[in-house]
Amino acid sequence: MLYRTAGQFKTSYEADFALFPVRQDAILLGVILLFAWVILPWSANEFVFQTLLIPVLIYSLAALGLNLLTGYAGQLSLGTAAFMGVGAYACYKLTTIFPGMNLVVAIALSGFFAAAVGVVFGLPSLRIKGFYLAIATLAAQFFLVWLFEKWAWLYNYNSSGAIQVPNMKMFGVYVAGPQATSLTQYYFVLAVVSLITWFSINITRGRIGRMWKAVRDMDIAAELVGINLMRAKLSAFAISSYVAGVSGALFVFLWRGAAEPVLFDVQLSFRILFIAIIGGLGSIIGNYFGALLIVALPVILGIVPDALGVPIRAAVQEHLNTMIVGALIITFLIAEPLGMARLWGIIREKLIIWPFPH
Amino acid sequence: MNALTRKCLLPALLAMGTMLTLPALAEDSVNVTNLSYRTGPFAATGTPVMNGQRDYMLMINARDGGVNGVKIDYQECETGYNTEKGVECYEKTKGQSIVTQPWSTGITLQVLPKSNIDKVPILAPGYGFSPMADGKTFQWAFNPPTSYWDGASMILQDISKGDLASLKGKKIVLLHLDAPYGKEPIPLIQAYADKYGFTFQAIPVGVKEMQNQSAQWLQIRREKPDYVLMWGWGAMNTGALTEAVKTKFPMDHFVGIWWSGSDADLKAVGEAGKGYRSISWSYPESNSKVMQDIKKYVVDAGQSMLPKDEFDYVFYQRGVVISMFTVEAMKAAQEHFNTKVVTAEQLRWGLENLKLDDAHLAEIGMTGMVPPFSTSCADHSGHAGGWMLQWDGTKFVKSSDLLKPETEMYAELSKTEAAKYAEANKPWPINEDCKM
Repeated sequence: MLYRTAGQFKTSYEADFALFPVRQDAILLGVILLFAWVILPWSANEFVFQTLLIPVLIYSLAALGLNLLTGYAGQLSLGTAAFMGVGAYACYKLTTIFPGMNLVVAIALSGFFAAAVGVVFGLPSLRIKGFYLAIATLAAQFFLVWLFEKWAWLYNYNSSGAIQVPNMKMFGVYVAGPQATSLTQYYFVLAVVSLITWFSINITRGRIGRMWKAVRDMDIAAELVGINLMRAKLSAFAISSYVAGVSGALFVFLWRGAAEPVLFDVQLSFRILFIAIIGGLGSIIGNYFGALLIVALPVILGIVPDALGVPIRAAVQEHLNTMIVGALIITFLIAEPLGMARLWGIIREKLIIWPFPH
Repeated sequence: MNALTRKCLLPALLAMGTMLTLPALAEDSVNVTNLSYRTGPFAATGTPVMNGQRDYMLMINARDGGVNGVKIDYQECETGYNTEKGVECYEKTKGQSIVTQPWSTGITLQVLPKSNIDKVPILAPGYGFSPMADGKTFQWAFNPPTSYWDGASMILQDISKGDLASLKGKKIVLLHLDAPYGKEPIPLIQAYADKYGFTFQAIPVGVKEMQNQSAQWLQIRREKPDYVLMWGWGAMNTGALTEAVKTKFPMDHFVGIWWSGSDADLKAVGEAGKGYRSISWSYPESNSKVMQDIKKYVVDAGQSMLPKDEFDYVFYQRGVVISMFTVEAMKAAQEHFNTKVVTAEQLRWGLENLKLDDAHLAEIGMTGMVPPFSTSCADHSGHAGGWMLQWDGTKFVKSSDLLKPETEMYAELSKTEAAKYAEANKPWPINEDCKM
């Protein structure tokens, strides 16, 4: 009924290959975009911006970067947080060396530094696969965080050893630093995330994406049909790290405002990997589902007892929260091991034939 | 039926409505939320301090009915020492709580730049960024009663028996957590080393190596320093103490900052830790009036979350002292603004005008628990000084008279660091009205 596809005919190849072969998908996306661009920002308060909307977007973007590499090209990586760190530190150095630089340009450029580092640490992928590659990327994780701590030039030799985001203006409005309003920051993040999502959807559907998928499914077969493995794997590392780097720069500049090296520790890598796995490897929309579950749900659970007026100790609540989220993760993975994106796919298929299943 | 409903339901609803609203109207209260960490890797050191803070507030409510009749609505928001959770808690509480107590350096770093905009005072007693003491630059941040630089200065005075020149030719090692907190004293100790001609070496302990410091202690054995100073936290303290015992480092030449002086850490080594010292700006006086009141109104009344044997702990009673700062600032603000329920901005004035002299400390029953001090618009720390506490095998005892920091040694350094911070975060308002 809601998702009836009867009567939607494709009369050309273009129509068949369109991004949304089913009209309802396009309408749904329109509604989501309307929410993201208009309704949510005008109804949200400071707390919702800072703890739900902005972090969900940034974590989704980081997971998207990892998903391009792990979900599409099949290269398991545990170094996402370190690549995010490269992006953040690069952006910090760029904006302090060239104080007048436009923040969009700085963030776009810092992604290239992350991409370059990603390619270097992606080189082992030409020889090793699977868990062994994961260990090699883990080396990147530890080495880079160590470097952020020890290389004082990276944080401009300041005594705290942490990077602080200065107040930065764009077209006369503060976009970063303590003076910036949450609304501006949200729109900034949303614009970047929308743009990169659009770019990722297209790249995964195109020649490069198919190349990655071929390598993921069977690299020998891919090589036999003439795919250059080196180019495929390294391009996956480069693009994935670029996205991770941009998300790292957003993470520090548009949300946290300050960062210590420990922030980019392996725990963050795992968190992003969980988002990608629970959301669904090899999907774009899954990253958003995953981020909602892992990032937003604990925050929402945290305000429930207060809202209901249940007197509960802060520490108990924190423990309960961890237990509930953990249980939900396991439930979701049992219900659908391929992630929430697949779950949504099944629901959508059922909706299409509802109410007359075969 | 209809009439019946109206007759019975309406009064019932009204009664329920009044029941729900009355308690809120009946008494004035202010919200004080603490960003606590009773969970996570640092819970063992955090919990006693949180218990102390909570119990003092509960005692004030139970004994005096609040601060001049205004109840304190003491809440906790659990961060687990995690920066992300901390920011979440800050955003959640900044509209309600009249003060922010960020606790971790990471959270302080996040919150500090926002303080000018959100206009909520940050109370970071004995931690945070040392130049925060410069009240003209950091209008909304307070680190009473002493800063880390004060601590470093007092430790050096104590180990040199008051004659810093005697340190010439000696070798001093700083074993520190490799994080902003641990790096804090380095510039100052280096300045002392240059001035008095002793060798100074900093040995960092990474957050991941806290529990296994054999590499660092091997280096210490090789260097043979005369003194080891420690800026440690959480598991790093126990790690260092056990290694020191194992390598037979003389304990009376091992001195820690106040966060490296928890009874729980020393209990782990017990008798072997005898002689270890820790500088402290608070001292547990279990027989003082305030502690007896807490015992009577909170602990014995079953309101406390404190385990029985922790009542005498340094960290527990330090929590009590910290809550006292907030309460005294509230009192000062109530009097100055002639109001009952103080706002965050009024509390800022109160924190800036703390006058805790001997007479006042005696009045609130806290003699000897914290050195007397006062704050001003230019000095947000008070530089109260502290005592050297020594572990006697079972508990900490005072081993020195009140030590005073040599603030003139780093007045310049503090000014330049504060100016650097303001420059990096411009536009940053400076309090021009303060003429001190």
